[in-house]
Amino acid sequence: MYRTLPASRRLQSTTPRGAVRVIRRRLATEASPSTPLPKKKRHVVRTIVLSTTALAGTFYLASPFVAFKNEAYYDFFSEHVPLGYSTLEYAEGRHWDTMTLESALESSKKSLASAQRYVTDKISGTPTAQGAIESVKNTRDAAVKAMQESKDRANSAAARIKTGIKKETSGATAVVKHQSEQFSREVSELIREAEAALAKGLDVAGLATTPEVAAPPVKAHDESPTDAAGTSIYTAPLPVGFELPPGYARPAPPKKPESAPVETPKLPLLSPALSSISSSEPIIAHLAGTIDDLTAYIEANPAATAQAASVLETAKSDLTALATRIDKVRQDERADLESKLDGQTREYTVKLLELEMEAQDRLDGQEQEFRRYFDEERARLTQAYREKLENELQTQTELINERLKEEVIAQGIELQRRWIREIKVRVEEERGGRLAKIDELSANLKRLERVALDNSTYLDENIRIHALWSALRALSSSALASPVRKPFREELRVLRHISAAREDPVAAAALESLEGSDVPDVGVEPFADLATWFASEVAPKVSHVALVPDQNAGLLSHLASRAFAGLRFKRHGLVSGDDVLSVLARAEYYLNEKDLDSAARELNQLKGSAKLLLHDWLEAARRRLEVQQALEVVQAQATLASLLVV
Amino acid sequence: MATKPPSSEDIIGQKYDRCMADFLVKAGVGFGAGVVLSVVLFKRRTWPIALSTGFGAGAAYADCDRSFNPARIPGTRIISQLEGKQ
Repeated sequence: MYRTLPASRRLQSTTPRGAVRVIRRRLATEASPSTPLPKKKRHVVRTIVLSTTALAGTFYLASPFVAFKNEAYYDFFSEHVPLGYSTLEYAEGRHWDTMTLESALESSKKSLASAQRYVTDKISGTPTAQGAIESVKNTRDAAVKAMQESKDRANSAAARIKTGIKKETSGATAVVKHQSEQFSREVSELIREAEAALAKGLDVAGLATTPEVAAPPVKAHDESPTDAAGTSIYTAPLPVGFELPPGYARPAPPKKPESAPVETPKLPLLSPALSSISSSEPIIAHLAGTIDDLTAYIEANPAATAQAASVLETAKSDLTALATRIDKVRQDERADLESKLDGQTREYTVKLLELEMEAQDRLDGQEQEFRRYFDEERARLTQAYREKLENELQTQTELINERLKEEVIAQGIELQRRWIREIKVRVEEERGGRLAKIDELSANLKRLERVALDNSTYLDENIRIHALWSALRALSSSALASPVRKPFREELRVLRHISAAREDPVAAAALESLEGSDVPDVGVEPFADLATWFASEVAPKVSHVALVPDQNAGLLSHLASRAFAGLRFKRHGLVSGDDVLSVLARAEYYLNEKDLDSAARELNQLKGSAKLLLHDWLEAARRRLEVQQALEVVQAQATLASLLVV
Repeated sequence: MATKPPSSEDIIGQKYDRCMADFLVKAGVGFGAGVVLSVVLFKRRTWPIALSTGFGAGAAYADCDRSFNPARIPGTRIISQLEGKQ
């Protein structure tokens, strides 16, 4: 059990703290019943239980690690093994999956420390074996701490006193004594340590109720402190006596517990007497320890005990004197050094302050300079980078513009091509769809055009006929129906133009003949004038020459005709007869009937001097009849044209 | 003398007017010459006056008749075509 404990601890050192606690508890509970009954049957049961628990613990501890490595095992462990899933959860909660060997070692160390703490807690809480263990541990800690302190102090003091105190000791004590001190120092130290450790160990032993339980911890803990103390004490400060401890330290502890209680009343020990001094001056304590060692040595040799007693007494007195002397000197020295240190401290503080101020100023100046330099540099860099950036930007912009322009041109061409294609397609569609209607439309349009043309020709014809009629009426009113004779060339010209526009050959010929004569310039006599002229002048004078023969009519025949004409009866009405008076009567009748044509025809039949007299009238009547005839022709043509139009 | 030619029906009246004027002038000239002869040669006898007046009136008549029928010229005769063929 005692052997297995370190072994199990070593085993547990690879496991986390919780598991250790579980096992520890189990061990603690099982330890008390198992230890007092060391029987064979119990051993079998214990072995079985222990092995089962160890196996189960190992299995449950190792399984998570294996499960984190192997996925299939993870599934198996979490699903089929009882408490497997909770174990895995716990392991994941403690980050075992990311644990390495070093971290495991570290955590095991930590767990060890915590286990120890737990044990000590338990021990201190209950006055049993745990309490003893805990107190032993406490004392051991205290011992170790004290040893450590004393060791440090001894180191420093040795180093100091080797240089400074050596002089004092040379003056105060003999060189031989000093050497003996040197020699005995190691021994005394060892002795003192052992004593201190044993004193505490004895205290612990006094506290323990059961020696069986109390002893093992003391022993168990004693090994490590001695090892630790032996290594820590003799390494640095005393290289000369380094070889001594292994031979000396090991046999010493077992002896001293037995001899110390026996011999203490025999010879006076220096260490307790000088404890007040040695606490402040370790070298004295060493010296006292050495003397105690010597005492112990002498006690070991009973022969020399008698001689040594006086010597030891003197040594003790000398040593106390020396200790007091050293103390005083040291105090003086300390005071002196303190005063000096104070002065130097002030001086250096002032200097430090000055230097600090100066450095501060310099730092400020440098900082400002750096800041300015930094600003300038930044501005310069900013400028440079901005220029660079602008250049870059410009080139980029140009490039992009160029590319954009090209793209735009390409797109424009593409779009144009597409449009043209689309337009072609559309045109084809339109041609297929709508151009068919255009034929119909054009036919309609042609019909309409024809109708319109017909209509326009119709209208033109109508307008022309209307104009013709207007001109004709104007001409007839001015030439024939006017109350006085006046020229009508203008009207005739208009009428001729209009009829010439109509390309009427008949009217054109009639009007041509009329225009060729001088009739339009002089005009024609109105019918009323002609009738009056005939009735008032022409008819009486013709009747006066009615009896004149046609040939060889001289003055006498004329005078006779004139004389007999007044004697004849005047005839009226439509009378027959070829003589001049009958013709005149018929002409007068026709003229009364407004038949100028017939009257002219009648008068035109006369011959001789009657015809000579009628010449002018007949001429006028013929002109009027010509105009009248031409107008009648044109009028007939116009009537015909209007009839044709309608 | 660009006077307007007379109308055709006034030709006979105009001839009458001219014959009268010619007769008066010629008869007056004959009467005057007869008076002078009578006084100078014939010692105031009456018959030379009547004779010379007659000569004047006769000449006027001949001229007037010729004006009415210009084709009747003494010593000549107009023969028609029908008569000429016969």
